[in-house]
Amino acid sequence: MEILIIGAVRGALYSLIAVGFVLIFSVGGILNLAHGTYYMLGAYLTYIFYTLVFGASGIYVLILSAGLAVVSVGIVACLVYYILLRPHIHSLTYVMVMTLALALFMSEIMSLLFGVSGTSVPSFIEGSVSIGGLKIINQQLILIPVTALILPALWFFLKRTKIGQSIDAVSQERTGAILMGISVETATLMTTGLSALLAALAGALIAPVSSVVPEMWLFPLIKAFAIAILGGMGSLMGSIIASFLIGYAEVLSSFLINEQLTELVALLVIVLVLVFKPSGIMGYKLR
Amino acid sequence: MNPLDVVSLSKRFGGLQALDTISFSVLSGEIVGIIGPNGAGKTTLFNCISGFISFDSGSVRVFGQSVEGLKPYQIVNLGLTRTWQLVKPFFGMRVVEAMMVPSFCRRSLKKYDSKKEIRENIIRILEEMRLGDKLWEEVDNLNQGELRLLDIARALVTFPNILLLDEPFSGLSHKEIEDISRVARNLNAQGLPVVIIEHRLRELMKLVQKVVVISFGEKIAEGPPEAIVRDARVIKAYLGERRRKIGLA
Amino acid sequence: MRINKKASFLLNRQSPLGLGILGTMAVFAVLSDNIFYVEVLKIACIYAIFAMSWDILTGYTHEVNFGFAFFVGGAGYASAILNSHALLSLYITIPLAALAAGVSGILIGYLTLRLKGPYFSMATLAFASILFKLSFIFYEITGGEEGISGLDVFTDNPKKDFFVAWGIMFGVYLLLTLYARSRHGVILRAIRANEDATQSAGINTAYYKIEAFAISGFMAGIGGGVFAHSQMHIGPTMLSGYISIIVVLLAMIGGMGTIVGPLFGAICLTILNEYLRVVEEYRIVIYTGMLILLIYVAPDGIFNLKFVKKSKVLSFMLLGERRPV
Repeated sequence: MEILIIGAVRGALYSLIAVGFVLIFSVGGILNLAHGTYYMLGAYLTYIFYTLVFGASGIYVLILSAGLAVVSVGIVACLVYYILLRPHIHSLTYVMVMTLALALFMSEIMSLLFGVSGTSVPSFIEGSVSIGGLKIINQQLILIPVTALILPALWFFLKRTKIGQSIDAVSQERTGAILMGISVETATLMTTGLSALLAALAGALIAPVSSVVPEMWLFPLIKAFAIAILGGMGSLMGSIIASFLIGYAEVLSSFLINEQLTELVALLVIVLVLVFKPSGIMGYKLR
Repeated sequence: MNPLDVVSLSKRFGGLQALDTISFSVLSGEIVGIIGPNGAGKTTLFNCISGFISFDSGSVRVFGQSVEGLKPYQIVNLGLTRTWQLVKPFFGMRVVEAMMVPSFCRRSLKKYDSKKEIRENIIRILEEMRLGDKLWEEVDNLNQGELRLLDIARALVTFPNILLLDEPFSGLSHKEIEDISRVARNLNAQGLPVVIIEHRLRELMKLVQKVVVISFGEKIAEGPPEAIVRDARVIKAYLGERRRKIGLA
Repeated sequence: MRINKKASFLLNRQSPLGLGILGTMAVFAVLSDNIFYVEVLKIACIYAIFAMSWDILTGYTHEVNFGFAFFVGGAGYASAILNSHALLSLYITIPLAALAAGVSGILIGYLTLRLKGPYFSMATLAFASILFKLSFIFYEITGGEEGISGLDVFTDNPKKDFFVAWGIMFGVYLLLTLYARSRHGVILRAIRANEDATQSAGINTAYYKIEAFAISGFMAGIGGGVFAHSQMHIGPTMLSGYISIIVVLLAMIGGMGTIVGPLFGAICLTILNEYLRVVEEYRIVIYTGMLILLIYVAPDGIFNLKFVKKSKVLSFMLLGERRPV
């Protein structure tokens, strides 16, 4: 039973991270290897705002800090895109190398500022809940309702609002969108921000119950990629489903086999899928 | 043993039957044209013959040897070489380097005794193409016509026993088409069977001895050029749509 | 119109700047008494080996390998384990480790054969991350966080150690340059430009791609082994994303696809990195930041800049290009 819930929590967390990753790839053709960094910054910035700026004074300040953190990350992402990526956006190699280098850079900055052992952030919601005789931490549980709110909101945004529809159009058929007068530039910029917001939100929410360390960018990135290729690089629904699949796979392997193997699950997914079915998943056109 | 025997070749892509039991042969020393309206499946045919796509049923034999399941480079080493319609040659390299690449294939390495021979052969081929002075030129700097000739030159370095040209005239001027035709004619006169896919019918008909017509994946006619241009089915295949649009028949 | 003799492809076309750097380092080490500087040069040599080995694959196929740590750290750990647990001499363990790395190169090359672009890159990253994780899972053998210490050294003298590294670097440089200028290099560049056309030329492209991967892995393995034993220690950093990314940046800033570019980039930037030790705390941040700036300014790398290629003087000095008559 607790597997069900913990798996759901993981799935929810991963879907917040993966959806943004897939979105920016399908809209902008950008394989953002700094995506995990946005997740990391969400966590670290929450700490920075809460402890350093506001002096750690209570739950409302905490929520405010988290909010500010998320928004800041969005802004940073847009700046990164505009200043660093746009000049050479045509070269996928450059985008990959630059975003990966940025990820490393950010990680080293955090290491410099706060040390290798990281920091901790207090919980938004204290305590835990007893379900089926097992304790589940509330902070983790929040992810489920939050995600349940955000993902449909995202869907609504993409399918029903004008701006969202333009993003959706670019992700599906770039040339067609251009011919329709949609500004791909604007769409990409907004998607960058949106994608980073989601990742940062995930980071901010999970920060209280997870280790906030400088290396925390790498594995979320790897998992996001694993989810993306499992669910299809262009499909949001696919990514959400894949997120839960991987989330549950991790939890199951941790319970049934060995805790240390959880991190390997995503890696194995990547290797197995890419090696044995590269054409099957790659139905999506690469720009 | 015929240079090329295609028997009942079929290929389906999802819902589309791209090739439907196509059969034809290329006899020794022949120069054959393959024509048909757009989308008829001509390039798919070449891709199947040269190993870039697998086919569903039927057989393709090059000098009696089946090419089923072989990789493209293996088929080249059997003696069948093709050129490409979309000429994307080796940008960023020089002509001499582009010419050297095919000389490293197994088939060509067997024919040479020394590196000197490789060099001399390359120079000779280029001079036949009238590209002799472009030896050290960057491939990026060649014009369309020269790129096509380079494509054929590269193909010749593999010592083919049968040559497939995929739309060699497309995008070229009359003079350039003349050059390519001359080259093809000379090669054929030396005994090399040549198969050409083309849309520029007038120029092609002057060049080939036999024409195979493909429409919607099926072979609808085969024969000498004079007969083909008068064949009712061929005319209908090319003009059929237009007639319906205008409202006649 | 004659084609220059094959030999001219090899010996005459060496890069003067490249040879110059190699010579300068050697002379400096002979003359200098400052052990710190010699140590720095030694590390620079090793990073140069890394950068050149990386380049022979990615520079010539344009598929970006993000999993270089697999070969470097993998071979480093392999040599360390054999050396400290099995007590074999490092003159045996390093070649063995490099061989293992080369064989892994064949394996990974084969598995990633049909992958392109981001898929290839992420697959290589995944392989390296798997090894990284495994080193923690099997911490009894690998020492986990702390790695393995107390490895054998080459010689008792830092200067002699330097020359070992320098000699190996020189050897790697020559071998890779020969390889790049041989038919293997031409074919790889052809594959890079258009794989279908290369197949149509009768070339077994899979073979050449895997071969390049194996050579890249083997050379990287040599570098990894030498590094481990020169520091007498190997830690998880050599398996981490850090080393992978740094090598990519060093090679790209130098100029992908030239061998001598990555040599130059690695040496200069590594020396700079050590020079930054004056601000040790901020060193890594400044270094990484600088690398990012350099990649932003010259994404193709210094040796690939357009104005270098256009200028007769510069393209001769850097790349050894001489326009034939």
